[in-house]
Amino acid sequence: MTHPQRRRGGGGRGRGLATGGGGSAVRGRGSESGGGIKGGGKVLVAPHRHAGVFIAKSKGDALVTKNLVPGEIIYDEKRIFVQNEDRSTVEYRVWNPHRSKLAAAINIGVDNIWIKPGLKVLYLGASSGYSVSHVSDIVGHEGCVYAVEHSHICGSDLVNMTEKRTNVIPIIEDARHPAKYRMLVGMVDIILCDINQPDQATIIATNASYFLKPGGHFMITISANSIDSKLSAETVYQKEVEKLQMEELKPTEILPLDNCEGDHACVFGGYRLPRKQNS
Amino acid sequence: MIILVETPAGFALFKVKDEGKLANIEDLAKEFETPDSARKIVKLKAFDKFDNTSEALEAVVKLHEGTPSKGLRKFLKANCEGETLAVADSKLGNVIKEKLKIDCVHNNAVMELLRGVRSQFTELLSGLGDQDMAPMRLGLSHSLARYKLKFSSDKVDTMIIQAIGLLDDLDKELNTYAMRVREWYGWHFPELAKIISDNILYAKSVKLMGNRINAAKLDFSEILSEEIEADLKEAAVISMGTEVSDLDLLHIRELCDQVLSLSEYRAQLYDYLKSRMNTVAPNLTALVGELVGARLISHGGSLLNLSKQPGSTVQILGAEKALFRALKTKHATPKYGLIYHASVVGQAAPKHKGKISRSLAAKAALAIRFDALGDGQDNTMGLENRAKLEARLRNLEGKDLGRLSGSAKGKPKIEVYDKDKKKGSGGLITPAKTYNAAADSLLGQTPAKSEDGEESSKKKDKKKKKKVEEEEEAEKEEPSKKKKKKKVEEEEEAEKEEPSKKKKKKKAEAETEVVEVAKEEKKNKKKRKHEEEETTETPAKKKDKKEKKKKNKD
Repeated sequence: MTHPQRRRGGGGRGRGLATGGGGSAVRGRGSESGGGIKGGGKVLVAPHRHAGVFIAKSKGDALVTKNLVPGEIIYDEKRIFVQNEDRSTVEYRVWNPHRSKLAAAINIGVDNIWIKPGLKVLYLGASSGYSVSHVSDIVGHEGCVYAVEHSHICGSDLVNMTEKRTNVIPIIEDARHPAKYRMLVGMVDIILCDINQPDQATIIATNASYFLKPGGHFMITISANSIDSKLSAETVYQKEVEKLQMEELKPTEILPLDNCEGDHACVFGGYRLPRKQNS
Repeated sequence: MIILVETPAGFALFKVKDEGKLANIEDLAKEFETPDSARKIVKLKAFDKFDNTSEALEAVVKLHEGTPSKGLRKFLKANCEGETLAVADSKLGNVIKEKLKIDCVHNNAVMELLRGVRSQFTELLSGLGDQDMAPMRLGLSHSLARYKLKFSSDKVDTMIIQAIGLLDDLDKELNTYAMRVREWYGWHFPELAKIISDNILYAKSVKLMGNRINAAKLDFSEILSEEIEADLKEAAVISMGTEVSDLDLLHIRELCDQVLSLSEYRAQLYDYLKSRMNTVAPNLTALVGELVGARLISHGGSLLNLSKQPGSTVQILGAEKALFRALKTKHATPKYGLIYHASVVGQAAPKHKGKISRSLAAKAALAIRFDALGDGQDNTMGLENRAKLEARLRNLEGKDLGRLSGSAKGKPKIEVYDKDKKKGSGGLITPAKTYNAAADSLLGQTPAKSEDGEESSKKKDKKKKKKVEEEEEAEKEEPSKKKKKKKVEEEEEAEKEEPSKKKKKKKAEAETEVVEVAKEEKKNKKKRKHEEEETTETPAKKKDKKEKKKKNKD
């Protein structure tokens, strides 16, 4: 498995923590400590195993992403400021695992989230844009996030959020009909799906057939109660996985999210993964 | 076969070079992996660029409805003669077939082809790189999103916030300039400043006369009233100011022009603000007025933010300094903030301002939510609520009058105040009522318990009566409120517990109460009753009481 850390050099956005390779918490190199959370406690920000994600270590650990639009926050998340060697400040936003299932999955320890700086992401079920904003932080300016949300109330919050973030494209459409937004979306590398509908396997499959490149990846959150409340959670997960497999979406990891919300699971996988060639 | 690809930049038509390859769908994907192999399959035939975002939006909206827009139709007609057209949407295909007589096709092969084309899009579409596409994509998506959300530029509250900010700034500026005119011209004609107090009239007069010598000849009737004009002309003759040259007067006049034009603009801005307020938040305007409404919105940051605040916050918006100071030092918090300037609160008598402000804030919070989140465009809800509030105000004032005129229910006759009256209680309006033992009912006095039962029931009645009356009366002082609460609690508890305990509580209550003469005649009566009963209590009963006390403590 390729080590995601090796690819961190890309982008050159002066994250202030770029280490040579195999970096862990940067302590010795330059002044990394900065004030920020709650009364100027000393905070160390270290890169996470996943590229683009960081960990802030102080009294407790927090998952953070580098703010793409310094100075702007989405609702009222905390920010951490770190001073660089050249006296410039880098701003990080705290990613709350209770609000975002992706953060919960990272905290539990998923092998690979597949989201990297510079990738194109299709996010179905963007809601008010909280998780979308963090994904947009990770992919950076070279990447792009297409945020699809059907509800008008959340949609207007989403549009407000995207006014500042130019790498997010808001799409106020029903994800069941990807044909309706085909003129806005190009091919993407990853699909993230958080819609909690009983036919979500079909939804993600249709979207993948339109927009997901071969060899691309996906993440889908399954809420057992939204699919079928009569069956047990494990049965539901199993059924969903089977549905996905039929549509060429091959799951590689199934992660129950037990520490954050009840009866939820995250499934990561690949699409049209290249079969091994028999020469 | 030609394939139609819709992009944020425009419509593209690709010619499929090798139709045989379409038969093998799985391998089709591989063909598009590199730009060169992709170019072997399809070639760009024609590209119809959108002129601007609005054209793009129109075209896309039409596509959503399932019909081709005019531009698309022309484009297809020009380029698709005799060929089959591959489309992504079968409904669209049907319509194109009907209207333009072009055969359309939509199947899995087409979908694969589209995927391939999309993945190699920038390469196939020479002359349009990713960088060009990105802003168009962003623009189109935002316009589309706004269109979907029915974003109406009329209902933007930013205009209000800016307008009210400008209004305040203008007022300050206007005042500054007007003061400057007075000071400057005062050098030449000091008396005028005292004669004309209004800034605008001052500026107009200065503009008209220039040098004070001209005052006698000119007619000020359009600007000033006759008496002031007369004063002016008199003062102009005997003024002790110095002479000023024409150049100086020119500049003073220019400043006057500025003042006048600013004040005109301020009037216009106020009208603009009023019209905007009526569009953006009609219900709030109906309830509190334009200016107060605009200030509330501006204070809250946006209408949506304001709608998230509860009524209690709306009540004291603008008095934060006083609020937090009071909270910190444990004093009484302010009763009104910005809402004090609403006309309904202004109409109320000082002692009702607090209540009206609270009711108004509650209704205003509802109106704000209606305006921010609802669909309606009219202000019926606001007007209804305003009527309710005015009714409440009248009710409050009516109660006041009612109390002053007195009711027949055993209230003392209010005597005329006579400070020299030494008889009775001196300066008190009504003398303190003393207990009239003769009015006691003496039925069934000997068996202790029955006495208890009867008197407790009597007390209950009296208490209920009192409760009802107290509810009618306006609640001003906190001690009275507390007492009422105590009584309510006691009522409830009394129904469960034994009469003796109730008596105990009453005793406690009686001891803690401070004598307030105006209202407390009934309480005094009860008090005396207690004392009487205590004296008539048999020792046996006392023992019972003590035992019960002990039991209750356990």
